[in-house]
Amino acid sequence: MADGLRYVGRPVPRVDGVEKVTGRARYTVDIELPGTLVGRILRSPHPHARILSVDTSRAARVPGVKAVVTARDTLGLRHGFVETPRYPADQAPLAVDAVRHVGEEIAAVAAVDPYAAEEALGLIRVEYAPLPAVFDPEEAMGPDAPEIHPSHPKVLEPYRNIAGKTATSWGDVARGLDEAYCVRTDRFESHLRTHGYLEPQATLASWEGGKLNVWTSSMGPFLKRAKLARLLGLPLSSVRVQKAYVGGAFGGKIDLFSHEFCAGLLSMKAGRPVRMVASREEVFTAYRHGQPLVVELTTGVKKDGTLLAQRLRVINNCGAYRGSGVVVIFLAWGFAAVPYRLPSLEYEGYAVYTNNPVRAPQRGHGAPQMRFAVESQLDMIAEEIGLDPVEIRLRNARLPGEVLPNGDNVHNCGLMDCIRQSAERTRFQERYGRPQQKAVGSGRFRRGIGIGVSAYFGGSLIYPNSSSVVVKLNDDGSLTLLTGAIDIGQGAETILTQIVAEELNVPLAEIRVVAADTESTPVDIGAWISGGAYVTGNAAREAAGAVRRKLTELASEAMEVGVEDLVVQEKAISVAGSPTRRMTYAELYERSVRTRRGDPIIGEGHWRTMRDQPTHPSLASTKGRWTENYAFSAQVAEVEVDIETGEARLLRAVTAHDCGFPLNPVLVEGQIDGQVSMALGHAFLEEVRMEAGRTLNPSWLEYRMPTIHDMAVSEAIDVITERYEVGRPYRTKEVGEGYVSAILAAIANAIYDAVGVRLHSTPFTPERILRELRDRDGAQP
Amino acid sequence: MGLVVNGERHELAVEPQTTLLEALRTQLGLTGTKESCGQGECGVCTVLLDGAPVLACLTLALDCEGRHVVTIEGLAPDGTITPVQQAFLDAGAIQCGFCTPGMVLSTTALLRETPHPTPAEIGKALEGNLCRCTGYNKIVDAVQRAAAEDCPGAQAGSDHG
Repeated sequence: MADGLRYVGRPVPRVDGVEKVTGRARYTVDIELPGTLVGRILRSPHPHARILSVDTSRAARVPGVKAVVTARDTLGLRHGFVETPRYPADQAPLAVDAVRHVGEEIAAVAAVDPYAAEEALGLIRVEYAPLPAVFDPEEAMGPDAPEIHPSHPKVLEPYRNIAGKTATSWGDVARGLDEAYCVRTDRFESHLRTHGYLEPQATLASWEGGKLNVWTSSMGPFLKRAKLARLLGLPLSSVRVQKAYVGGAFGGKIDLFSHEFCAGLLSMKAGRPVRMVASREEVFTAYRHGQPLVVELTTGVKKDGTLLAQRLRVINNCGAYRGSGVVVIFLAWGFAAVPYRLPSLEYEGYAVYTNNPVRAPQRGHGAPQMRFAVESQLDMIAEEIGLDPVEIRLRNARLPGEVLPNGDNVHNCGLMDCIRQSAERTRFQERYGRPQQKAVGSGRFRRGIGIGVSAYFGGSLIYPNSSSVVVKLNDDGSLTLLTGAIDIGQGAETILTQIVAEELNVPLAEIRVVAADTESTPVDIGAWISGGAYVTGNAAREAAGAVRRKLTELASEAMEVGVEDLVVQEKAISVAGSPTRRMTYAELYERSVRTRRGDPIIGEGHWRTMRDQPTHPSLASTKGRWTENYAFSAQVAEVEVDIETGEARLLRAVTAHDCGFPLNPVLVEGQIDGQVSMALGHAFLEEVRMEAGRTLNPSWLEYRMPTIHDMAVSEAIDVITERYEVGRPYRTKEVGEGYVSAILAAIANAIYDAVGVRLHSTPFTPERILRELRDRDGAQP
Repeated sequence: MGLVVNGERHELAVEPQTTLLEALRTQLGLTGTKESCGQGECGVCTVLLDGAPVLACLTLALDCEGRHVVTIEGLAPDGTITPVQQAFLDAGAIQCGFCTPGMVLSTTALLRETPHPTPAEIGKALEGNLCRCTGYNKIVDAVQRAAAEDCPGAQAGSDHG
C-alpha cells in the first residue's frame, strides 16, 4: 500500500500520545491562571415563559462575588449556528424577555469559590410568566400550537414554528412511481442521543490589557473567535483562542455556547480570569444533543431492483433555536440520495421549533437517521421483489465519475468494491435469509446478518473556508509545523506531521507541532466539517513542498547541479546517483540565511475545497455544490437476538470503506471502531429521555453509554481508490463521520434477518423487539 | 493531614468534604487525574490507593491519611513510560486521551494482580472506565499486548504503591 512511502500510510503512533498517556496533556480544565474565578450560570426551570424581571442585586452583594451579568450587560446581539439572510441569528447569549427551553441561560456570576457562586445564583430573583409549550415537532407544526418564535417570513408554509425548510427535486417522480414494479411507503423515526464526550464543556477566559485570552473545549478555534468577538463587540485581534487538548466532541462542541460568552464577559467585568465548567448533569439537561428525525419515504423500483423514484419528507425537531437544525434538513437529501443512482427525487425537509433544548451537530449530522430509513426500506423492497440485499445494492450503487444533480462529482467512488468486499468477507449471500442453517438458530438466541451503505462528504465551504499551514525549517534541520487545526482525538496533529515528514523526509520526532492558536497559527477550517485530512492535509503538503523547493534550489545552486538531478534524502539533498554529494538541511539553512538576505526557509500552504465555487450552496434549494469529496462505505452487521428477553447485541461489524488512501491505518481503524461502538449505543443502549422538555436521565448511570462489555468485533477493509505521491495533491477522503451510519441500518436489517422483526424506530430496545415479536406471533400463531 | 503521592510525602490542609480528586488536582497540581462526572460513574479519575484502583472523586482526602496514592504522573520517572503506557501507544488505544490516565491505572492494577488476564478478567477490570472514542477494541488490544510483554504493571509505580 505504502509503496516508497516512509511516513504516510504507516501506522505510526500518534504524536501527542506520550503527553496523553503520561497525564501531561493539558485540557481546558487543567489550565491554571492566578486569581481565577469560578463562573456559574443561572438556567431556566421552565420550558417556555416570559421573563418579567431579573433582580441580581442581592447576588452581587454576596461576599466573594466579583461580577454578575444578565442580558442587560450584553450588546443585545444574537448568534446562531447558521447566520444568513434567510436564517438570521435567533439566539441571545443570555435570555432577554423569554425563555424557550429548560436550561436556557439567564444570568451568570463569577466568584472566588464555588460556594459563593452557588449562593449568588440562589439569590437571583427571576419573575416568570409561564407560557404554553410544545415538544413534539408535528404538534408544533399544527395550527393551534403555541408560537415559539414568529416563523421566519421567508419560509412561507401553512405550518407554525417553522425554523427552516429545504426543498429540492429532479426528474419526474410521479412518472417514476407510476412505472415502478414495486412501490413502498414507510415512516421511520429516530430518537435523542447525546454525544458522550467525557471532558465536560469548559472554558477559561482571561481579560488582560484589552485582550481576551480564551481556552475552550472546542472543535474550531477560529469559528469560536469570530463569534465571541462579534458578540462581545471586540475586534478579532482582541480575542485569542489558544490550544487546549479536547476530551472528545463528536459534533457537540462547535456551536458557540453561552458559557463561553459568559466566561468572556464576566472576565471583562471582573478583570480576572473566569473558568466555566459544566457539570455532567448540566451537559445532559441544558446542552445540545443530536437531532431525531421523522422520515417519510416512498420509493419505486423496476422489477430488477433499479431505483426509479423517491419521495422524501423529513421533519427535524430542532429545539428552541435553529442551531444546526436547518443544516440537517439540507444535508438530508444528500444522505438519502448520494450512494445510489436515483433518476428522480422530490424532497422536502422541515426544521421545527419546539421547547426542547437546542440541538447540535452530532457525528454523521443526520446521516445515521437517513441511512436507517433508506437502507431498511431497500431491504423490504428487495424481499418483495425477490432480490437479495447485496444484489439490489450492487444494481444501484454509484460508479466512479458520476455527477450528482447539484454538480458534485463522486470521482473515485469505491462503493461497488465496498459492497462486494464486505459481503465476501462475511459470506453474506450464503448466510442471509437462511435461518435453518444457522448454528445457533434453533433456540432462544437467533443470529442474523444485515448490510447497509453510506456516503459522507469531506470538507465544504463554511467559515472560515480555508486551511493554511506554515512549515519552518530550524537551523539544525528539524521542522516546526504551524497549523490552526485542533486535535479532538481524531489525530489531526499526527497526520499533518506524517505528511510533512513524507514531503521533506524528516523523522516524525524532529517535527514540532504548534496548533490551534488563533494568534500564532494560520487559519483552519476546524474539526467539524470532515475536511481535516483533505483540506488541511493538502495545505500541509503544499507548505512542506514550498520548503522542499527552496531547499532544492539552494542545493542546485551550491552544488552546481540541475534541480532535476537532485533527490531528497533524510534531512539532506543529494545528487541523484551519487549520494555522497549532498548537503544537509542544516547546511542549506545556513546557506540560505547567508545568501538570501536572511531567509530562514519558511514554507506556506493553503487549501480551499471547490476553488471554482464562490460560496456554500443554498440551504433552502440545495442549489450549488456541497463538496468535491465523498467517502463511501458498506457495513455488515452480525447480531444475536434473545427471543425471550428481546435483547439484541451486535457481535461483529465489518466496515469496507473507501476513504481514498488511509494516511494512518491505525487512526483509521480507531475512527471505525469508535463509530461502530457509537452506532451500537445508538441502536441498543442510549436514549436521552425527556418529558415536557426536562431530561429524565441526566447521568452516566441512567444514560447507558457502551462499556467494555458492549464491545463488538470490528473489522475494517480498506478499499483504496487513491495514491499518495510526494509533491502531488491528493484526494483522500474522510473517516471521522461516515461510518456511524450504514452500520445502524445494517443492525436493523440483521435483526430482521434474525427474527423477522422490522423496526421502524430507533432504539432497538428489548421492549420494542419483544412487542414486535409478540405482534408477529399473535398474527401468525 | 499527610499522605504519600507518587512516592513523595505531602502535608495538606483539607476540608472534611474535600475529595482526593480535588486535593490532587487543585492542591498538588496533579491534573493528569481527570474529572468527567464527579459521581463515580465514568472512571476517568481512577488512581491507585495502596496499589488498588479507586475513584478519586468518591474518595475523601481525609480517608487517605498516611496512605500511598499513585497517579498517572507517578507511574514512571520523567522521560520514561511503563510497558502498559507503551502498549497503549503502540496499540492505538488513545484518541482524545481523557479516559487514558484512568484506563492505564486500572490496567496497571489488573496486570499486577493478574499478569495474564482472560478477556473476562479484562472486562471486569475495565468495566468502570468509560471510553467514547475507541469502542474499547484497541484498549483491550493494549492490555493484551502489555500482558504479553510479561512485565506486568509498572516497576516504577510499584515502588510507590
